[in-house]
Amino acid sequence: MSFFRIDTQPARIPAWVLSWFLFAAGITAYFYAAEQRHRENPDDRVMPTVTQMVRAFQDAAAKPAEGQEVQEAPQSLIQRVRGSMLATDTLATARRFLISVALLFPAVLLGLHMAMFPYMGAFFLRFFQFFDKIVALSLLPILFIAFGIDELSKIMLIVIGVAPTIILDTVNLTKSVPREQIVKGFTLGAGDFAITYRIVLKQIFPRVLNSIRLNLKAVMLFLFAGEMIASTDGLAYRIALLRRHMGMDTILPYALWVALLLFAVDLGMSTLNKKLHPWFQE
Amino acid sequence: MSINVENVVVEYASRRVLNGIDLEIDAGEFVSIVGETGCGKSTLLRLILAEEHPTEGRVQVQGRERSRPDRTCGYVPQRYSLFPDKTVLANVAFGLEVTSGFWNRNSREFREEALRYLRHTGLSEADAKKYPHQLSGGMQQRVAIAQALIMKPPVLLMDEAFSALDPGTRRGMQRLMKELWRESGTTVVFVTHNTREAVCLGTRVIALVKDGERGSSVALDLEVPHLDFDSDEEELTRLIARVESASVKMDRPASMAVPVIS
Ligand SMILES: Nc1ncnc2c1ncn2[C@@H]1O[C@H](COP(=O)(O)OP(=O)(O)O)[C@@H](O)[C@H]1O
Ligand SMILES: [Mg+2]
Repeated sequence: MSFFRIDTQPARIPAWVLSWFLFAAGITAYFYAAEQRHRENPDDRVMPTVTQMVRAFQDAAAKPAEGQEVQEAPQSLIQRVRGSMLATDTLATARRFLISVALLFPAVLLGLHMAMFPYMGAFFLRFFQFFDKIVALSLLPILFIAFGIDELSKIMLIVIGVAPTIILDTVNLTKSVPREQIVKGFTLGAGDFAITYRIVLKQIFPRVLNSIRLNLKAVMLFLFAGEMIASTDGLAYRIALLRRHMGMDTILPYALWVALLLFAVDLGMSTLNKKLHPWFQE
Repeated sequence: MSINVENVVVEYASRRVLNGIDLEIDAGEFVSIVGETGCGKSTLLRLILAEEHPTEGRVQVQGRERSRPDRTCGYVPQRYSLFPDKTVLANVAFGLEVTSGFWNRNSREFREEALRYLRHTGLSEADAKKYPHQLSGGMQQRVAIAQALIMKPPVLLMDEAFSALDPGTRRGMQRLMKELWRESGTTVVFVTHNTREAVCLGTRVIALVKDGERGSSVALDLEVPHLDFDSDEEELTRLIARVESASVKMDRPASMAVPVIS
C-alpha cells in the first residue's frame, strides 16, 4: 500500500477514480438523504430531489421570472432562453462582475507606481495599508447614501473591498523584482518610465493576473452581498428572494451554476495567462 | 583615467565594510578584483555603478560623479541579468530600442545588430528566439554580455559573472571574455572569488583584504604580471598561491603586495 509514501506516483486509473470519488460520494449521499426525507414527507422543501431540481433549472433557463410581463407571441427557443430568469440574472451579475474586475486594473497601476516611485509610496502606502483593514461591508450604509442604492454603490463596495488587496499585492510583486533588473535597465539607457512599464510591469504581469484570479472569490462575495441587500436582479438577488419561500429546488442549481461560472472564468484567465506569457514559470 | 576611487569608506548601520579604498583604473585595463565572500567586492562594484554612494570619499567614472547608474557602465551580474519576459533577441536589442525614439522601435536594424552580437558571443539564430529560461547558465551569460556590449559602454562591470557555471563552460567564457575585451577596448572590472580566474584574466589583480578584527576591507594591488591562458602551469600555480596568501590576511610578507596609491 503506497498511500502513505511520498515518493509514489498514482497509476492513471486509480488517480482518476480517486479524484472523482468525493464528487460521486457527495451526490450519492444527497440522493439518499433526499429520498429518505421525501419518503417521510412528500412535500419536503429542504432537500429537493434531483428531478425537482432539474425541472426547476429547466424552468429558470426557459421561462421569464414570475412577475415579469410575458410576451404573447410564440418565441423561438433562443429567444425564450434569452428572456429567461436564469439568463437575465446571469447577465446582470456578469455585468457588475466584469465592471468590477476591470476597475481592478487601475489598482494594479497604482500599486506599481507606489512601489517604483518612493514619493508615491510615501504618499499612498500607509493609507492603503490602513484602508485594507476596513471591513468594506461595514461601509455599506454609507455607500448607499453616497452612491444611491443602484449599480454604483454595489460596484463601489467591490472596489473598496478588493482594490486595496490588489494594490498591496502589486506593491509586493513589484518590490520582489530583483534589483539587478532595474540597475540593468539604467545601464542600458532606459529611463524611469521605460523601466517601470517595459521591464517591471511586463515581468510581474502574469503574477498580477494570478493575484486577481485569487481575488475573484472576494469580488463575488462582495457582489453577492450587494445584490442580496439591495438589488432587483442578479443571481444573488434571486437566491435571496427564493430563500423566503424555501425555493431550494432553484437555489441549489443556482449555487452550482455560480460555482461553474466562476470556475470557467478562472480557467479562462489561467489559460489566457499561459498563452500571453509563454515565458512565465510558475 | 577611466575609474577613480578616492579614499572611499562605506558603512552599513554600524559596520564599516570598505575602509579607505583608493583605486585608479586606466581606460582599456582589465582589472580583476578578488577577495573572500563578504569582503565588499559587490559593494565596490555598486559604488562604481553609482547604484550606491560612499559614506566618505568619491567615485568618478570617465571623470564624472554620477547620481545613479547610466550608460557609462555596462553591467553583468551573476544572476537576474536577463529580462525573463523577453526573447534572447529582444533582450540584446533592448538597449538600442529603449534609447531610440519611439518611432524607431522594432527596427530591423536593431535586430540585425543584436543578431550580430549574439553570433559573436557564440549563439545561433535558433537561440535568438528562445526565452532566457530555455538556455543553460553559460548561454544566459553570453546573452548578458552581448546585451551589455551592444551599448558600447566605456566600462564593463562583471560581478561573479561566471561563478555559477561548471568548470568547462567557465573556461570557455573566460576565453571569450578576454577576446571581447581585446576587440572592444572597454575597461573591464571583473569581480571574482576565484583566484585562478582573476590571475588568468586580469591585466591587474586587486585584492580586497579585511584589515584587523572589525573586518573592514582595504584594496591591495597585487603586482602580478599579466598572464594568459596558455602560460606555464607552474608559473600560474605559483602566482595563484601568492595571490591567495596575500589576499587572505593582512600580515603577509611585505614584498608581495603594495597598497594601491598613486
Ligand atoms: N545594503 C546593505 N546593508 C547592510 N549590510 C550590507 C548591505 N550590502 C552589503 N552589506 C554587507 O557588506 C558586506 C559586503 O558585502 P558584499 O559587497 O556583497 O560582499 P562580496 O560581494 O565581497 O561577497 C557583507 O558583510 C554584507 O553583509
Ligand atoms: Mg558579491
